[in-house]
Order: sequence, then C-alpha cells, then structure tokens
Amino acid sequence: MANIISVKNLTKEYGSLKAVDDLSFYVKEGEILGLLGPNGSGKTTTINSILSLLKFNKGSIKIFGEEMKPDSYDIKSKIGVIFQEVSVFDELTVYDNIDYFCGLYVSDKNTRIKYVEEAIELVGLTDFKKFYPKQLSGGLLRRLNIACGIAHKPKLIFLDEPTVAVDPQSRNSILDGIKKLRDDGATIVYTTHYMEEVEILCDRVIILDKGKIIAEGTIDELKKLANIEEKVTIEAYNLSEDFLHSVSELKNVLEVKYVDGLLTISFGKGKSNLINIIEYLKEKKVDYNSIFSERPTLNDVFLELTGKDLRD
Amino acid sequence: MYFHIFINSLKVLFKNKMLIFWTFIFPIVLGTLFNMAFSNIEKEEMFNIIDIGIVNDDNYKNNQAYNMAFSYLGNVDDDNRIFNISYGSKDKLQDMLEKEDISGYLYLDTTAHIIIKSNGINESVFKYVVEEINTISNGIQELEFRSIEEISKYAISLMNSEVKVNDTTKKNMSYTMIEFYTLIAMTCLYGATLSMYSLNQILPNMSNKGKRVAVSPVSKFKMILASLGASFITQLIGVLLLFIYTIFILNVDYGSNIFLVILLAIVGSFSGLALGVFVSSILKKNENTKLGFIIGITMVYSFFAGMMGITMKYIIDKNMPIINKINPVNMITDGLYALYYYDTLDRYIFNIISLLIFSFILIFISFIFLRRQKYDSI
Ligand SMILES: Nc1ncnc2c1ncn2[C@@H]1O[C@H](COP(=O)(O)OP(=O)(O)O)[C@@H](O)[C@H]1O
Ligand SMILES: [Mg+2]
Repeated sequence: MANIISVKNLTKEYGSLKAVDDLSFYVKEGEILGLLGPNGSGKTTTINSILSLLKFNKGSIKIFGEEMKPDSYDIKSKIGVIFQEVSVFDELTVYDNIDYFCGLYVSDKNTRIKYVEEAIELVGLTDFKKFYPKQLSGGLLRRLNIACGIAHKPKLIFLDEPTVAVDPQSRNSILDGIKKLRDDGATIVYTTHYMEEVEILCDRVIILDKGKIIAEGTIDELKKLANIEEKVTIEAYNLSEDFLHSVSELKNVLEVKYVDGLLTISFGKGKSNLINIIEYLKEKKVDYNSIFSERPTLNDVFLELTGKDLRD
Repeated sequence: MYFHIFINSLKVLFKNKMLIFWTFIFPIVLGTLFNMAFSNIEKEEMFNIIDIGIVNDDNYKNNQAYNMAFSYLGNVDDDNRIFNISYGSKDKLQDMLEKEDISGYLYLDTTAHIIIKSNGINESVFKYVVEEINTISNGIQELEFRSIEEISKYAISLMNSEVKVNDTTKKNMSYTMIEFYTLIAMTCLYGATLSMYSLNQILPNMSNKGKRVAVSPVSKFKMILASLGASFITQLIGVLLLFIYTIFILNVDYGSNIFLVILLAIVGSFSGLALGVFVSSILKKNENTKLGFIIGITMVYSFFAGMMGITMKYIIDKNMPIINKINPVNMITDGLYALYYYDTLDRYIFNIISLLIFSFILIFISFIFLRRQKYDSI
C-alpha cells in the first residue's frame, strides 16, 4: 500500500532542547498508526511539524507524495486535525461549531448539512446539537472537538491525545468512532500516552521517548521485544524466603516479586509456564486463593527499552 | 467561503457578551451618566452669574463693540448669560464694590479700565472677557456675534475648570460637548477589542482555534480579511448606535455637517481596528489580558483627551503636547471639535490624516508579524 505520509530525519529544537530528534517514519494508506509516548516525548511537536505549523531544524515531510508546505492547500483540503486542546467557539452551538469548521473545506451548503449531521451522528452528539460548549461535560466536549475536525470527511486524520480526561463511556464512543473512520477508508495518526488505547485501536505503533523512536511495529511485534512472555500472579499468604528463592530457580523464570500476599512471577520465552507453576505449587503443598496469567503489555516493552514506566 | 467566514465571525462577535458590553453597552451607559452629571452642572451654572458694574457714561454708550458684547453677555433672557450688570455712575459702582455687591466694574476712556477689589475666579473671568472684547474690537473693528458667543462659552468653561488659562487664542470648548466627543472617540477605539478578538481566533500562535484554521485550505489572507471585515462592521454598528442614542435621546449637537462627522467616526473606528490588530498580533498573551490592555489604554487616551474633565486636556496640551499628538482619542475628539467650531476644514483634515498615519503604522508593524506562515513555537 502507498505511503500517505513519509517523514525523513525530522529534527525540531526549542532553544537547546531537542523536542524531536532525527525522526523518520511513514504512514501507510488505510492504517491507524499510533504514536505512543509519555508526556513531553515529542508527539505534539511531531504532528505540528508535519502540518507545517512549526518551523523545524531539519528533515523533510511528504504527504500524499508531495512536499508539505504552509500553502499546500490541495494537501490541506484532504486532512483533518484534532488538536490536543479543545478548540471550539464558546459563542457557537455544537451544530454551528461543526458547520463553521466544515465550511472551511466544503462550500456547498447542502453537502455541508449532510456532512455535519453525519459527524454529529458519528460522535453521538445528536441530542446536544443546540447546546453551547459550556453546557457540555468534558467527554462530550472532546467528542465535539473531534467532530469539528472530521466533518469534512478527510482522507488523512491526525488525532492528538483526543481522550485525555474523558469518562470511560465517551472514551469507548470515541475509539469506536475512530475505528469506523478507518473502516470507511481514512488513514489515521493517533497519539496517546495510554497504551491500552493503542492496543485496542492501532494497526501499527511507534513508541517515542525524548523525541526519538525507540521501537516500531505491530502490537505483536512490539510485545516480542519484551523479554517477558507471560506474567503470573498468585494470591497466597505466608510464603517463606526459601520457597520464593526456589521459585526464582525454576525454568524460564526471570523475576519474582512478593508484595502484600501477591506473588508475581515473570517468565521469559517458553511454553506451559502457567501449568508448570501450578504443578510446582501442588508439589510444595502451598495453599493459594487465586491465580491468573497475563500477556506482557506495551508498558513492559517500554520498561524494558527505557528502564522507566510509561505511566505518569 | 469568504461569506461563510464573515457571517460566522459576525455571529461570534455578537454572541460574545464581554465584547458587546464594552463596545455597545458601556459607551451608552457612560453617555447617560455624563448627561445626568452635566445637566446638573449646567443648572448650577445659571446661578453662577457674576455681578459686575459698568459706568454708562457717553464713552460707553458710544462704543459699539462693548455695548453689543455686554448686552449679549448680560441678557437676562439668555440662559448663557454670564454677567448680571448694574449700570451707574463711577461713585455708585465704587460704593457697590466696597460692599461686595459686585465683583468689579468697568469704565472706558481712551482704553478700558477694570476696577476690582480682590483676585478670584470671577474677577479673572471679567478681566478675560474685557481683554477679549478689546482685542477683537481693536483688530477687526467689527465685533461678530459668533465671537461673543465663543467668549461666553470659554468664560463658562473657565469658571468650571477653575483653571486660569493664559492662552486666550484657544477657543471655547463647551463642557458637555467635549465629553461627548471623547465618548464617541473612546467607542471608536474600543472597537479594537473586536478586531483583536476576531484576529486571535485565526492565528495559530494565539489560539487553538487558530491552529485549526491554519491547517485548513483557506489562505491566511482571506481569513484575516473576512474576520476583520466582520469586526469592522460590528464596530461601526456600535458607533452608529451611540450616535443615534446621543443625538436623539440625549440631544447632543454634533454640528451641521453630519457626513463629515460620520467620516471622522469611520476613520476613527479604523484606527481602533488597527489598534486591535496590533495588540492581537504582537502581544503573546491570553485574550483577557489583551482585552484589559485595550480597555486600559483607551481609558488613558480618553482621560488625556479630556473625558474626565477638560482640565486634563489643557494640562497635557500645554505641558506635553506630544502625548495628545499621538493620541488617537484626542485626534478624533479634536476633529469633531474643529468641525463644530471652525469654518475651515484644515484642522479637521489634519486630524483625519493623523488618524490614518497612526493606523497604517500599527498595521504595517502587525503585518510583519502576520506574514509568518510557520512558527518557531506555538
Ligand atoms: N513551545 C514550546 N517551547 C519550548 N519547549 C516546548 C514547546 N512545546 C513543547 N516543548 C517541549 O518539547 C518537548 C516535547 O513536547 P510535546 O511535543 O508537547 O510532547 P508530547 O506531545 O509528547 O507531550 C517537551 O519537553 C516540551 O516541554
Ligand atoms: Mg502533546
């Protein structure tokens, strides 16, 4: 599939701070690309540079195969952007806000009416058309913010942390809406610092830290980067030091942690880890209340690569 | 597209309560307060008539200029009279002066003599009027009715301001009139809040909405033109409302040439627009700070131009004339005033040109900032 965006050697400095450091990547047609990274890792700076809002020190940006410049109106007409901060007019209703921003792209009135209605439907604001932004909850406001950016049916959509401080219901609705946009043929660049969202949503992920790409690939590819294959957590009390030590000697075990009656065992590559530990517990006659197993998360990957937690 | 942006910008401005308050409501409220305050002052003025005496010998009776002037200034039927005149012999008037029934008296031989007992504001006014009549009657021989009227008005403002102004070439400024002129001027300048707000919405380095606009396929120039067009229209509607209110409700007289008055208001509003563009594009502060800045500076401008009392204008004009030379509120006020009091348009045109220069300088500087398409930091 064609590359919708290609970024080469993008570098952006704010004074002496390198916010984006020699970034190269591409976005393929029809995919949802996740830019995952903690606050301050350079996600917003990257997007603003791609959009030609920011001057950058080095690099080249191509969108739809052409160089992106401030007056690339052809390219711009096919892009939709949802910025990190809610940006709507307090003076206009939900409907009028979407209509205003849609009108910057779509001149025909009848087409616009149709598009605005569809955007309202997509983000689930049908009951709030006549409301003013001040009357909306945080979640609904975020949905309005999204509708304003996508009503004109762009082929390429940038979403910069669209779910920050949003209630779970709105978050699910937003994520569903984004999937629907992709299914309707849009290409999407999605930034977030929530790894759970990336796991649900993205076809491919780029993990950023301090302005650099530290890993890149599909979710499964990335998870292979973590040495951990499986994490088993066992609720059991009064385990002895000897027992804990013996567990750490078992096959494939990388790490053993025991805190407040919760024993967490990280396993490296290898099969049947869960079955092996259950049998070992039986053999040692250790009582336990519950046991469960987890696959590694992107947080484990991030931890592995940077030595720190992705979560704030 | 242009129309879409224009209409929406209008909608946004008219729905913004804060902006509408400063540009529509506040000037009307202030005008009403002025009107209440001044109608009291003017009533008081009627009782504030100076008692004087005139020796009505043949010298006086034969002097046309003095006769005409004092019969006007002492006319009992005229609301504008400033003197209550007792006529009589020198002895009689000297007697009255001793008893302080009069502030002073006048007698003429080859020149005019004023006899006074003390030096107060009444005496100053009396002296000033006589000097003026002297100057005028010596100069042009023929005393025009209009100039007496002006002397009278100036004398009134002297009494009210209690400031002794030596510059007798300065013509009268009616107390109330100048306040309403500054009110119009202030409203023109408050229009800056509208252009500042409109422009802020489309600049990516000033607002988040501006980022949205900047990534859209509409050119920046078109955006700026459409939104400033909307703010200018809104501003003119505000000024028009104030004119209607002051003319028809408060009975303010702007003189006979209403078209020139309106032209000045339009040029004045343009200078307000320019100020807003300047503040929006130069100051990297939030909207409320910018709003406060515009309101603050306009208040100071208005104060210097004489809004809170003409004394201030005199002091500035005399001691630091440069301040009012670069003060757009003063340019508008002075233009309106010149239109009312002068028969020639020189001073009016001078003020129009000053306003245009003021506006274009601000717009030129702003343009340097507005041209940018990409930013170092947003
Ligand atoms: N306008 C700016 N001026 C100076 N530094 C900035 C500016 N914007 C962002 N930064 C810095 O650049 C880095 C990247 O920021 P940003 O791109 O906003 O990260 P993210 O979107 O991933 O949270 C951060 O260290 C941030 O403090
Ligand atoms: Mg960000």
